[in-house]
Amino acid sequence: MVFTIVTVLVAAAAFLGLAGHRFLTTREEARSTILYGERAKKFFAWLALRTIQISRRASPRTWAAYLKGLPLWRQPVLEKWLFIGFYGSFLYLAASGFFFGLFVPRGLFGFPLVGHVACGGLFAVCLTVIVLFKGRDFLAMPRPAGLSLSLIDPRKMAITAARVKRWAFWVFASAGFLLTVTALVPMLPWFGTPGQKILFELHRYSAVASAAAALVFAGLEIFERPAPARSPD
Amino acid sequence: MSGPDRTPLRTAGAALVMALALAAGLAAQAGSGQPAAQAPAWDGHRTIPAHLIPLRDENDEPIIPTEAQPLPYSARYTCGPCHDYGTIRGGWHFGAMTAAASGRPGEPWLEVDARTGTILPLSYRRWAGTFDPRAVGLTAWDFTLLFGRHLPGGGPAEPSDAEVEAEPDARWSVSGKAEINCLACHNGSGRQDPGEWAKQVLRENLRWAATAAAGLGEVGGMASRLKGTWDVFDGPNPDDHEWAVVPEVRYRPSDFDSKHRYFFDLNYQPSDERCLACHAVSPKDEPKWAADADVHAAAGLKCADCHRNDLGHAMVRGYEAEASETGNKTAAAFTCRGCHLGEDAEGGKTVVPGRLGAPYPRHTGIPLVHFKRLACTVCHSGPRPKEGFTRVRTARANRLGIHGVAAWATDAPIIVEPVYREDGAGKISPQRLVWPAYWARRTGKDLLPIKPAEVEAAAGDILKPEDRIARVLIGLSQVMAEDETPVLEAGRFVFAPNVDAGLDAAGPTGGKADAPARWGIRKDGGIVPLVPDFDPAAEDKDPAVEARFQEFLQALATVAEKPGEPAILVRRTLYRLVDGFLDVSEAPAGLAGAAGPGWIAAGKLLPLASDFDVRTVTAKAGTEQTLTEEQVALVLAALTKAGATGECVYISGGRLFRLEKGRLAARKDRAAEPLTWPLAHNVRPAQQSLGWKACTDCHSGASDFFFDTIKGTGPLLTKSVARLSTSSFMGRGGLFQRIFGLTFLVRPVLKIVLAVCAFLVGPLLLVAGLAALGRFAGFLGRR
Repeated sequence: MVFTIVTVLVAAAAFLGLAGHRFLTTREEARSTILYGERAKKFFAWLALRTIQISRRASPRTWAAYLKGLPLWRQPVLEKWLFIGFYGSFLYLAASGFFFGLFVPRGLFGFPLVGHVACGGLFAVCLTVIVLFKGRDFLAMPRPAGLSLSLIDPRKMAITAARVKRWAFWVFASAGFLLTVTALVPMLPWFGTPGQKILFELHRYSAVASAAAALVFAGLEIFERPAPARSPD
Repeated sequence: MSGPDRTPLRTAGAALVMALALAAGLAAQAGSGQPAAQAPAWDGHRTIPAHLIPLRDENDEPIIPTEAQPLPYSARYTCGPCHDYGTIRGGWHFGAMTAAASGRPGEPWLEVDARTGTILPLSYRRWAGTFDPRAVGLTAWDFTLLFGRHLPGGGPAEPSDAEVEAEPDARWSVSGKAEINCLACHNGSGRQDPGEWAKQVLRENLRWAATAAAGLGEVGGMASRLKGTWDVFDGPNPDDHEWAVVPEVRYRPSDFDSKHRYFFDLNYQPSDERCLACHAVSPKDEPKWAADADVHAAAGLKCADCHRNDLGHAMVRGYEAEASETGNKTAAAFTCRGCHLGEDAEGGKTVVPGRLGAPYPRHTGIPLVHFKRLACTVCHSGPRPKEGFTRVRTARANRLGIHGVAAWATDAPIIVEPVYREDGAGKISPQRLVWPAYWARRTGKDLLPIKPAEVEAAAGDILKPEDRIARVLIGLSQVMAEDETPVLEAGRFVFAPNVDAGLDAAGPTGGKADAPARWGIRKDGGIVPLVPDFDPAAEDKDPAVEARFQEFLQALATVAEKPGEPAILVRRTLYRLVDGFLDVSEAPAGLAGAAGPGWIAAGKLLPLASDFDVRTVTAKAGTEQTLTEEQVALVLAALTKAGATGECVYISGGRLFRLEKGRLAARKDRAAEPLTWPLAHNVRPAQQSLGWKACTDCHSGASDFFFDTIKGTGPLLTKSVARLSTSSFMGRGGLFQRIFGLTFLVRPVLKIVLAVCAFLVGPLLLVAGLAALGRFAGFLGRR
């Protein structure tokens, strides 16, 4: 139950955060007032309208066109297959894990579990390769900090989309590392039942963290990328 | 009105209310017709009081051991004054007929009748797959005679007066009732003999059984041989001192003190031997010295340390759902999880673990799902799964523990374990399994079993080929020398009579399966023909041969239910008895083609044993089956002819057999499915538990845990039997378990891959984190 609540709250926070970011950075009306209440009203009105617009536009053809337009397909062959494996395994892991974790009292079982274990291995390998060869692109070196109250003032933290993306990457990598460890260690004769319970919970909450980080990263990435050109019809 | 004036009225009102309440309480007590239950009064001391007490009989009269024909002791009136008998009667062992809740299924009573091929599961509790004895026409009297051997008295063996009157054919007035036998469990004396109890019950000496079994006195006589009009007040039968001898108890006066008090050597907690008298289970083919005890018993615990009860004798059975089912919250502390983990059925830490020194299990490396989906007993109890399962015999089903000249224990019914099946609580648990077998009438979808006696009556001779051949052989035995045994050679087997007037089959021999049956004499390890081939007309024939023929014919003449007069035909010479003398004559033309010993009937020479009899016993020889398909078809036809309402069917080996256009046809049916019940003991040591060695104890492509196949067994010799995989009992797909098992082949590779990934990513994350931290703290310069 706690896991369900945490998962829902984290997912809602990530979604609203991304939507809020887009609203604040792209919409004129967001800058028309400094009152938080007014901004919130305008935000939710925009969100509702945008949701309706997107849902009206959504169709298998649109999705196919969107997927076709992804830069993934234009990557060199090794990178292309690396990311296909990475995205594919992560999507299956998240879908199977959260569906069974949230909606099936018995938890993950049967063939979906076998698939989950298999995809887990693929995910760990892909993640390792990505961290090894792409991690340096996300190294964010902060300036040396002075001890002052500005350290805890969000307005002075210089939170930018690029920095959030970097943080999201490393949170994702850390959560992926924890997922790997908490999948490996329970298979070894090291921990008894209480330890197994802790590892299981750690696995689940690491999954929440990795999913939230992936959502933020993907949201910002997609937001930054120019929209594909519309077809003439 | 002033205050003092109101006070007397208040007092009077209160007194009136109290008086009414008292009257109502007294009325309620009087209305119940029962004395108020005595509260268990334990003074806190942990010793057992010495039970030097006067014995009382069923009339509540004191027993004077030196008096003539004293009655047996009565637990109701001897133990009852201090331990309320009415409270005890509701206990688990005695209250099955009246219990409101049935609890988790346990071992049913199995009515086994070899001749009719009946293995009928019975229980007064509403357990799936069992029949209520009352529904199949078994009265309390029938039930007591069938199973009283392993009943602790009470329950059906002690019916109410109304129930006695409702059973006019029962002989309760002769046998008396078998009261609850307190000593069956609590007697600490080595004299306690469960076998003696069984014998007394089978002699219908019900009221004497407890006295005899406890060794309080010696009981002679048999109520079963007395007339139905005899009453215990009639006393001995002066006209018969050999057969219909009245049961009588002779107490040992030396066991009584001068006040006629008897010393009972009692255990508050029954010893394990007492429990095992009825609850023993052993592998069938394992020698006694090789059988291990339960790990708890080996650690010094007694059965009653966990299976506790108060005066109500509502035994703690020890399964997880018991606390919620019975409302006895203490029961949660006596499950495996309660004692070892301190958890209740829901996993809550509501119980203090480590009771009686129970170790806390580490279960290192065991995924949590095992604790959610499996009962503890799956890995820890019963024999390890193996191909073909482990066949066991239980005290109650296979009549174990009754010792004497006759062999009481039986191989039937076939019970195997462990079969892993989901129990009612949603967990998989190891279970024992038996395939039911019975004749039944079908009305719609319902089957109502037919009593074996009814089947036998309708079947007539169809079910008795062994008897007929045995009668011939026993008849011939009378004229055999000490080193000679008459035998029948048929098929690849040699049949000889046994001491129980039955047939023993030896073989298979090297003979041909289709060789004609031959009567012979076994001597010095060889077999010679009963009727040697010789020329009766020859002048130099051995005169001893004809003398032997005369002996054979005289012996055969004594055979009961013979179809004709005995005769021996050699070539064209007929030997038979006329007025007790051997008559040698030329065989009539009607006997042409016949030869050997036989029965002359209607001008024909019939064989000593019919083709049907020989075919039937030969087919069953060397097997445990007692019926052939031919017999079943004939009996079904006979039952139909006998006018039974509804279609008659037979259940065996997981199949339902019925006549379709006169031929026997088998098909699946729910009624033929095997019956299972959870097992809990013996608990094996941790190192022998499943999964100790590796996950592949169960998770492999060919593990016996998932992929063994169980074949239906039953009294019918047939190829039409059910075949079920063990995974089907668990409700798990066999294909999935095979694929899942195969994944364990690559699991070491997966572990290595994950470990390598973790060892690569972990340090990189650490370095990146340290670099960021160092820069943040100013320890490191900008990149």
